[in-house]
Parts: sequence; structure tokens; C-alpha cells
Amino acid sequence: MKKIEKVLSMLIIVAFVLAACSTPTPEKIVERVVEEKTKVVKETQIVEVPGKAIEPTIVRLSGWASSPSETALLESLLYKFSVENPNILVKYEPITGDYKQVLLTSIVSATEPDIYYVDIFWWLELATNDVLFPLDDLMASTGTKHDEFIPSLIEAFTYDGKTYGIAKDFNTLGMFYNKDLFDKASLEYPTDDWTWDDLKAAAATLTNTSDANKPVYGFCTPPDPGRFPAFVFQNGGMVMTEDYSDTTLDSEAAVGAAEFYTSFRAEGSGVLPSDLGEGWQGTLFGKEQCAMVYEGGWLIPYLREQFPGTQYGVVMPPAGPAGEGNLIFTVAWGISANTKNAEAAWKVVNFLTNEASQRTVLESGFALPTRKSLQNSDYLTNNPNSAAIFNGSFNGAKPFFWGAVGSDVNDQMGKALERVFKEKQAVADAMKQAAEAIRKAMQ
Amino acid sequence: MSIILNRKKISEAVTGYLFISPWLIIFTIFSVVSLVYAFYLSFTSYNLLKPPQLWGLEGYQRVFDDDLFLVKALPNTFKYVIIVVPIQTLLSLILAFAMDQKLRLQRFFRTLFYLPSVTSSVVISLIFIWIFAPQGIFNQITGLTINWLDNPRTAFYVIMGMNIFTTSGTLMLIFLAGLQDVSTSIYEAAQIDGANPIQTFVYITIPMLRPVIFFVVTVGIIGCFQVFDQIYVMTAGGPLDSTTTVTYLIYKWAFRDTTIKMGQASALAVILTFIILSITLIQRSIIEGSGSSAES
Amino acid sequence: MSISTAQSRDAEWTARAGKIRRILFYAILIFWGLLSIAPLYFTLVFSLKPVADTYTPPIWWPTPFTLNNYETILKTFHLFPRWIWNSVTISVSVSILRVLFCAMAGYAFARINFPFKNFIFNLLLVSMMMPGVVTLIPSFLIIGPGLIRGGIPLGNLTIPTGFNLIDTPAGVILPGVADAFGVFMMTQFYKSFPRELEEAAMMDGSGRWGTFLRIVLPISQTQLLTLGLLTFQGAWNNFMWPLLVLRTPEFFTLPIGLQWFRGEYYTLYSVVLAGSLFNTLPMLIIFFVFQRYFIRSIASTGSKEG
Repeated sequence: MKKIEKVLSMLIIVAFVLAACSTPTPEKIVERVVEEKTKVVKETQIVEVPGKAIEPTIVRLSGWASSPSETALLESLLYKFSVENPNILVKYEPITGDYKQVLLTSIVSATEPDIYYVDIFWWLELATNDVLFPLDDLMASTGTKHDEFIPSLIEAFTYDGKTYGIAKDFNTLGMFYNKDLFDKASLEYPTDDWTWDDLKAAAATLTNTSDANKPVYGFCTPPDPGRFPAFVFQNGGMVMTEDYSDTTLDSEAAVGAAEFYTSFRAEGSGVLPSDLGEGWQGTLFGKEQCAMVYEGGWLIPYLREQFPGTQYGVVMPPAGPAGEGNLIFTVAWGISANTKNAEAAWKVVNFLTNEASQRTVLESGFALPTRKSLQNSDYLTNNPNSAAIFNGSFNGAKPFFWGAVGSDVNDQMGKALERVFKEKQAVADAMKQAAEAIRKAMQ
Repeated sequence: MSIILNRKKISEAVTGYLFISPWLIIFTIFSVVSLVYAFYLSFTSYNLLKPPQLWGLEGYQRVFDDDLFLVKALPNTFKYVIIVVPIQTLLSLILAFAMDQKLRLQRFFRTLFYLPSVTSSVVISLIFIWIFAPQGIFNQITGLTINWLDNPRTAFYVIMGMNIFTTSGTLMLIFLAGLQDVSTSIYEAAQIDGANPIQTFVYITIPMLRPVIFFVVTVGIIGCFQVFDQIYVMTAGGPLDSTTTVTYLIYKWAFRDTTIKMGQASALAVILTFIILSITLIQRSIIEGSGSSAES
Repeated sequence: MSISTAQSRDAEWTARAGKIRRILFYAILIFWGLLSIAPLYFTLVFSLKPVADTYTPPIWWPTPFTLNNYETILKTFHLFPRWIWNSVTISVSVSILRVLFCAMAGYAFARINFPFKNFIFNLLLVSMMMPGVVTLIPSFLIIGPGLIRGGIPLGNLTIPTGFNLIDTPAGVILPGVADAFGVFMMTQFYKSFPRELEEAAMMDGSGRWGTFLRIVLPISQTQLLTLGLLTFQGAWNNFMWPLLVLRTPEFFTLPIGLQWFRGEYYTLYSVVLAGSLFNTLPMLIIFFVFQRYFIRSIASTGSKEG
């Protein structure tokens, strides 16, 4: 049933787009439904359009430039799209350098692309200023359903009941552990069933600072607002209230999480990257100076390129007193509210997030797909490290998003931890101070 | 006759404008229009996404309600000026005085002292980050284990020290030029009177150099109030905002924060301008009030 | 400060004091001289050591020795040569244009009568008092997206309010070519310069422009070179403005590039050190060659006040 639905919806878009471009209706649209699921879409072709060559609708698409191979992947998907949709010309304009700055300046000068990446962290700013196009009607027009995607990812880009972005991929935190260091300390490798107590005990055992030039610490606890909230969730707390109208960083659960998080360094089994003169714990992990770190899937290619010999595994972060907790980092495709070709733009977005495209992305190993249906794919079964990060999204994970004052919340969380680490402030005071600063920013 | 005269006048005026026009056009756009627009922006709320909206003094109010400004940026900036300006002025004056003693290798030392000033602020900052890293050369030489730039108690002082280090060379050259202008007969007279060098320095050199000192201090204050590059490269305002200065805060609000605050940042820029202008004017009136003895 | 009666003892004391004084002054000079050269020396030493030895002693001598870092810069990492080239073109353009425009304007202010001359000159003096940071945001908007989204509509036309030069070398160059201090300096210079030579040329029938090109520019050579060097140094080392304008690594100037490189490849600090020498050395060479002019320019900034 689904197949037919898809084909039909595809046909509708084609017709719709063509109508929108005010070109003569094509004489006939030939479509062949081939049995293999993935090929269905490909076989939909427009054959023979009367009249002279149609001016194609131009859709501009921008994202930040990541690795060349990732760019190549996106380009190949876009090529596939262009073969199927000769009437839409997608111009890919990757942005190198400071993405958000470039995007904002292009918005000021009214030269922004039709489709662009929106980060979970700042998309709301765009949505509330009416710069983003609400996608619900467009989604309905092609029969794309919200519940085909991982729920927390749709929720992450919903504001005031409207969806403003389709997550293109995502990451959660996984616990990366160094197998060699575990072997050296003759410890069993961690599992998905670990708890805070296991983490604490292992960190202490793994720490070995006898070599002053290359001390080894069990666990890395950077004052990073992109790591700490997972512990708050695991402790049954929240960063913000449900409607983002207040912060709960001074709640008992959050303070407890901060106590736990900062206790590693206080007890000598944890370290900050800056203590060892590094900017990022990923580097410490690669240098085997830190046995366990919480990082996202981005650490995998980094280790492959910079520290190829590292023997490591990834499991879901250990559960706290209140169970599992994790953070979701994600980037979505958004459509500009000022676009003149919303339908064509949506068609591109819909293509890039459909199951076939997402499978290609997943199998290339760069990113995790946002469609629920890919949870049981062979790729994830064969790549337990990636699977740990994918499955994190189903286990107590909440989006890395704190409402309109998000940057203040992050700032204050980081500073509260820094004050505890560097100025020996009492944890409860530090969290209270952070919460008050956030409340002030909200006024 | 008068028509010819007029025509000549007009052609002279046209030539004049042709001569200044390349400079005038760009100057008008980037100095005059910019300045006016900065004032306008300071009375608006502007996040780049929607056109600027006038909101009166709200932006100024927000600046003065902001803890980061009140508790960190403003005190930090004053602290920076109060520590750096006197030290770099005195140090460069002493160096210039030492140079002026007709010692051998004067040219050689002059070149040497100017070296840090040739280096760009970014490059010297990158070098200092590396020297003051926890495992860096400074700790290796001194045997200390302080993480200088990651410690809220030390980071700002490292930046201050670096700035004193880099600007002293330039200031020394300015003083040296001033010293060489002081006629040697005055020194000779002092020597005959039996004054020792320290007395000469205090009672003759400093009063004679008053205008130059004024200039060096003014330039120093203006520069220090606007310190940015070193902060951006070395600490980005951290750790724990201990190195956030007013200029860095302007940059942060206008270009870095998730919610862009161009209006509020402009208000702060206007406030900073007033602070700098009034300090310069007060200083000028003090110097002039006390009766400057030297004209140059 | 009277002369004491025991003159001989005093003379002896003075001689000894003079000696101690000289030693003391030498000590100050040598100490500060060593300090001045230390960062540069360490940079050189460690740029000649392998990346893995970024923090490893010995610190006084490059052992183990390697040229890998320089090879990375000049061969492997294709962006470095581009950054150097960008820095050169931008700094040279800014210097030439600014010197020319300042000379033209300065000459006009000093010699030619035109309406509003005093008003404009006073505006210039006022602008010299303004700290640069106040015009930063508007200048950014003018160079980039414009003051008003989509420009000012005027009938069928829209007048853009921005140059749309973000991420181009022109965006870095343009605001730099007009400088108030340079015009002020040239005006003062031309005012102090005798008119006779020009008047003779004018008599010979060359107009203002001919006189300017053939007589005025050549006689002010020294002054122009001084201004040019000062400008070049400023543009070569400039950071904040290019930081705002340039976004794509290919277009970066060397200081921006180095800072960016440090962020992207923070494990390769030795390469950063080697790269930083490419920023410092050209300036150093220029300084050695034109030392006289540098010192004159700095000395002149000092005496302009007072």
C-alpha cells in the first residue's frame, strides 16, 4: 500500500510543480512501478513535454561545507534529484566559514538561499522572526507524515504547533571508551546497562597519573553545556520547564547532577581538557589520556583520520538514578519564508529526507538517518558504534534546545561548572547563580 | 572682469573637489554616515532579521542592566587601562632615557626594541598562547605549573603583560624623538649644576617631555579602551569572563550571540565613545591647566 | 644643587657613579633587548622542530631538526600561499590608494580654495577623535548587506544601501583607503612647504593636475613613503575588520588564516609557529630597509600634538 501511496504522491508533486511553474501540462507522464522498494521513485519520469524547453525553476540550497566526501554525497543526491526533476534546477551553494553569520547577512540583504541548514540551537530565532517557512501544509501536500520521523526530531523543530524544519540527520552522545586502557586496568568493557556507580568506579580504576608527562584520567568532564544536561536528565531533572518559560537548573535533580559531574575532578579521576592544555576532549581521547568521554558520532571520523590506531567502543551513556538520559544534536532543512518557489523547494527537501536518500546517507557512514523505519537496517546491525548513538535517541534523549534564551542558558551552565571547577564555588550556589542569571535574561 | 574672476573661482572650486573627492566620498560613507547611523542604531532594536525598530533608550537601559557589562566588561576595561597605561608609559620612558645616554650600539638596541611592535597582534597572541600553555616554555623555564590562560586569576594579566611588551617599543621611539628634541644645552647646564641623572630625569626631562607624555598617555588610553584582537585570539573573553572587555562585548553582542543585538551593541559603542572622549578632554584640560612649559 | 667644597672627592664619586650608571643602563638595555627577541627566537626554534615536539625541551636549540612545518605550509597545505598572496595584494592596494588619496586631499586642503573647506577639515579633525569601534557596526552593514533590507525603492529603481562586498578583498580594502590622519599629515606637510616651486610650474602652463603629478608628488616622496609604510604595516597586521568581512578560507588574509588554522588543526602548533614567521618576517625586512622612515613616522606622530 505504502508504495502506491508514494508513487501517487510523487505524481501529484510533479503535476503540482509543473502547474506552479505555469508551463503547459505535460502530455503524458509515464511511470512504472518496479517491485524493488528503493527504485520506485526513480522510475517516475516525465516524458515528452510539448512546447519549447521550459525555463527550469531555480532553487538555491546552502549548508555549511563539511568534509569533501560528505559534500560529494549531497551533490550525488542532488544529481539524482535533477535527473528525476529536470524542471527544477537546484543550485548548491555551500558556505565555508562562519555559517550563521553568512546566513544572517544574506537574510538582511534579501539574498538568502531558498533552502538552508538550520541548527537546532538557533532555528527558533529565525522562526519567531518569520524568516522560516512553516512546512506543515507542504508536508500535507505530498503526504509526508510527521510520525515517519523520530518523534523527538520533529518536536525539536516545532514551534507554536508548526513545523519549521525536517531534520536531515542527528547525533546523540555515546560513551566512547578506550579498549587498550580498559585492558591495561583489567576492567570489563562497559555495556549499555552501566549505571553512574559503574562509571564512577571505572573512572577511578582507569586513572593513572604516575607519568607526569602523560597522565591518564578515567573520565573527562568539560564544563560544556553540550554534555552536562545528559546527567541532569539521568538524574530526573530538566534544564528548562516544559514550555521553556523558566529554568530548572537550581532544582534538586539538576544540582545533584552537577554534584556528580564535578565530583570526578574533585576526586582526581576526572579532568578538563584545558587542564592538559587541550581544547577538546576528543583529542585527549585520541591521545589516550582520557579513557572515557561522552561524544557524538563526529568523533568517529576524527579518530579515523587523526588517531587511526585507537581501539575503542561506544555504548549508550550509563543510566543515572532516574534512568537513561541523553542529548540530541540535529540540523534540519529549512525553507526561507521569502522564497518564491516554496513548492519546488519543498520537493527538494522531501527528496533529500526520503527513505532512499536517508539510506544512502546512513550507508555512507557520515550521519544517522532521521526516519524511524531505518532503525533496523543492516548497516546499524553491523556497526554497533553507530547503532549506540542512533539508539540513544530513543532512550531518554531530549533535544539540545532551551528556548529563546538558549545561548544564555548554555553560557550560564558552562560558567556554573567552570566556577565550581576553577573557583571552588559550592555546587548549589553555582547552579543558583546560573538560574538567576537565566531568569534575568528572560525578562 | 568679475565674471572671469568668478569663473576662475568656480574652476578652482571644481578642481578642489576633484582633488578631495576620492577621499571625501569614502570618508563620508565610512566615517560620517557610519557615525550618524551608529547613533541611530543605538536607539533601535535590531537583530538583523527584522528591520531596526526604534525603542528609545531601551538599548542603553539594557546595557546598564547587563551583568556582563557592569560586573565584568566595564571594570575589566578600566582595570586594563589603569594597569597597562602607566606601566607602558613609564617603561618606555625609562628605555628611551637609557637609550639617550649616548651609549654604544644605540641603533642596534633601537631595532631590537622595536621588534615586538612589528609583529602583528594576532601573531604575538598565538605565540603567547603557546608560551603560556600549561606545558609551555614559560612554565618550563620557571618551573611553575600554572595554566595561565585558563585561570581567571592570571589570564588577564598575561594579556596585559603582552600588550605592555608589544607597545613599549613604539612608545620608546616616540619618547626618544622627544628626548632628542630637548636641547643638550639644558642638560649641560644641569650637569654643571651638579644634578645627577635621576634628578635630571625628574626635574628636566619629564617637564620638557610633557606634551609627548600627554600624547603617549592619550594614545595609550584610547588604544587600551579598545583592546580586542588579543582578547579574541587568546581567551575569547574567558575564562569566566575574566578577560571580557567593552570592545569584546560589543563584538559579542553584535556578531556572536545567538540572538544578535546590533542596537544594544551600538548603544554600548556610543557609551564607550563618550567615555574615551571625556577622558581625553579631562586629561587635556589638566595638562593645559597646569601650564605646559614646552611648546613644540 | 650646590657644589660641595670637597671638590676632588666629589669628582671621583661622579666618575664612579658615571661608570655604575653606564653599566646599569647597559643592563636595562640588554635585559629588554633579550626579552624583545625571545618570543621570535623561540618561535623560530620550535618551527624547526617536529609537530610532536611542540612543547618538548630543549627550548634553546631546534633538536630534532626538521623543515616539515615549512613544507606543510608551502606545499601540502595549499591555503597558506593563498593567504600570503591575499595579504600582499590587500596591503599593497590599501597603501597605494590611501597614499594617493591622502596626498590629493591634503594638497587640496593646503593649496586650493573651495567652499566648505574649513567645515570638511573640521569634520576630519573630529573624526580623528572618534574611537574606531563606534563605526564598526554601520561600516559592516554598509560593506555588506546594507542599512536597509532590499535597498531604498525609488520608483522602478531600488538604491542599494550596501556594497555587498562581504567575503571579497574589496570589502577589506575599501574602508581602508580613506584615512583622516593621513590627510591631516599631508595637509600639514604641504602647508609648511614653500609655494614657489609650484607657482613656477603653474606659470609654465601646467595646470593643477600637471603640477600635482610632476612637482608636488615628487617633492613629497619622503612623506608619502612614510605614510605608505605606516599604512602597509597597519593593513598587513589588521585583524578585526578582515575578521568581520572575510568568511571563506580561500579569501583569508594571513592573520585571519593563522587564527583559523589554529582553531581547525590545534594539534599542529608548530605549523602555526612557522606560519606566523611568514607574517613577521616581511614586516621585519621592510622595517630594516626603511628604518629611517619608520622612526621618522613614529616620531612625527609624537610631535603632532603638543
